[in-house]
Amino acid sequence: MEQDSNSNNAQNNHNDDLIALKSVTKIFGGKVVLENVSLAIEKGKTTVVIGPSGCGKTVLIKHLIVLLRPNTGEVYFKDLRIDNLGESDLNKIRTHYGFLFQGGALFDSLSVTENILFPIRQHSRITNWAQVEDLVKAKLAMVGLDGFQNYYPANLSGGQRKRVALARAIALNPEVVLYDEPTTGLDPIHSDVISELILKLQRELGVTSVIVTHDMTMAYKVANRIIMLHNGKIIADGNADYIRNHPHPTVQQFIKGQVSEDDLAVLRMSGTVSQAQFLPRDFQ
Amino acid sequence: MMIEAVGARAMGGVNNIGRFTRFAWQSLAASFRSCMSPVTYPLIWTQMHLIGVRSVPVVMITGAFVGMTLAVQAYDQLAGMGLEEHLGVLINISVVKELGPVLAAVMLAGRIGGALTAELGTMNVTEQIDAVRSMGTDPIRYLAAPRVVACLLLTPFLIIFADLMGIIGGYFVSVIHLGINSRAYWSFSASGVELWGVSIGVVKGFFFGVALAVISCYKGFTCKEGARGVGQACTEAFVASFISILALDFALAVIFKAIYSTFWPLKSLV
Repeated sequence: MEQDSNSNNAQNNHNDDLIALKSVTKIFGGKVVLENVSLAIEKGKTTVVIGPSGCGKTVLIKHLIVLLRPNTGEVYFKDLRIDNLGESDLNKIRTHYGFLFQGGALFDSLSVTENILFPIRQHSRITNWAQVEDLVKAKLAMVGLDGFQNYYPANLSGGQRKRVALARAIALNPEVVLYDEPTTGLDPIHSDVISELILKLQRELGVTSVIVTHDMTMAYKVANRIIMLHNGKIIADGNADYIRNHPHPTVQQFIKGQVSEDDLAVLRMSGTVSQAQFLPRDFQ
Repeated sequence: MMIEAVGARAMGGVNNIGRFTRFAWQSLAASFRSCMSPVTYPLIWTQMHLIGVRSVPVVMITGAFVGMTLAVQAYDQLAGMGLEEHLGVLINISVVKELGPVLAAVMLAGRIGGALTAELGTMNVTEQIDAVRSMGTDPIRYLAAPRVVACLLLTPFLIIFADLMGIIGGYFVSVIHLGINSRAYWSFSASGVELWGVSIGVVKGFFFGVALAVISCYKGFTCKEGARGVGQACTEAFVASFISILALDFALAVIFKAIYSTFWPLKSLV
């Protein structure tokens, strides 16, 4: 496997590893989405997974919480193998995780308060409602949305939805929070708000974060470690400086947001705009 | 090449049956556990309101039209033989044993089944079901079980409403419109309709309710991406529920007939 050497160094340090993937391969309908991926997530650190769309980033992050099971390979949480556990055992493990989905995945029929209370209600019996109200208020204050308790997801903007989803993800005070494209669809200012929130969570709660993104501004801002995934394989693994200076052309092309020579050649071959046949405006 | 394609389709079919069977088993097990756990009663209560209470008008309208149509259609045949006063027994047996339960269940498959599949399918494609799992909760227990329990408990009640309206609709057309003697209408009905006939109609409701709920939830949980995927899942859920209701109706008719033939004559000995 073509795996970055820096990544192997990271895997050899097992003491602080919270989650580990070992030789994970995932195939969907004959297409190999992850190929023999090994990865260790260090406790208390923020790991950012970057890569072009469709390279397997979301599939990778879903394996960390076993929302998807590998075809081959193993997944560990605190040295306990979890990919072969039944759903009821996995559900206990999953309470250590928070997951921020790409679209927020808030429950439409529940208010902001009920969304945040969902994991709490599922895993503890609420007896003191005043305390619960304070808890919801504190979680919303943490994401800057105190006062939105009675809103429904349909009444929130994209950025607000993501922040409520983040408040829900941290409702059970998880050890690790997984973020799937947290800034997709947000303007640069709201993207920066999310980045600041991730830093705040690491600083104040000491949570381990794994972030899947192709937003390099965010990646450089929050990452202790950046991993680049390409065609289901890890091709670069290191800190921000290491990635900035990585010799691999695909890495450089991605972090600089440059189109490849191959793509340009395809565009040239497809002809000019003036050559394109347009239908007249009054075409029936 | 062709053999390979046929083999692949057969394997796909077997896989689907296996997945559905596992889902159905997990749903029924989770439903049983939900009934034992008071914590889940609010979820079941909410679904009972959405599924049961709101279906009452549509089921009653279905039942009423079944009874009225039967009266109009059967009157000429019976009147030709001078047996028009027996119209009540024909209408009421048909309504309580077959047409009331089956048509009420088909109406529910359209109203509830479509809504369940669309709701769960949308939750699936917007990752809300994954969100439930990621928070350490079994989505079958949280989402499917309350719906299955609500359908299981309320379909028989809805069938009773359909039967009642079918009987009233049949009476209205027969006595008020066609002028059949009221006393004769009821007395022939009472002699012809047995408690057994009413009971099997209601008991069928438990099976129909579970079938349409499990099928609709399964289609929602497994629906494909996009608006087209959700739409396709809704169509498949209705067609599968409809066929299941008819197949179950046939199977239950055979079973109940065998039970009736074996045990009902013993009633006279008690």
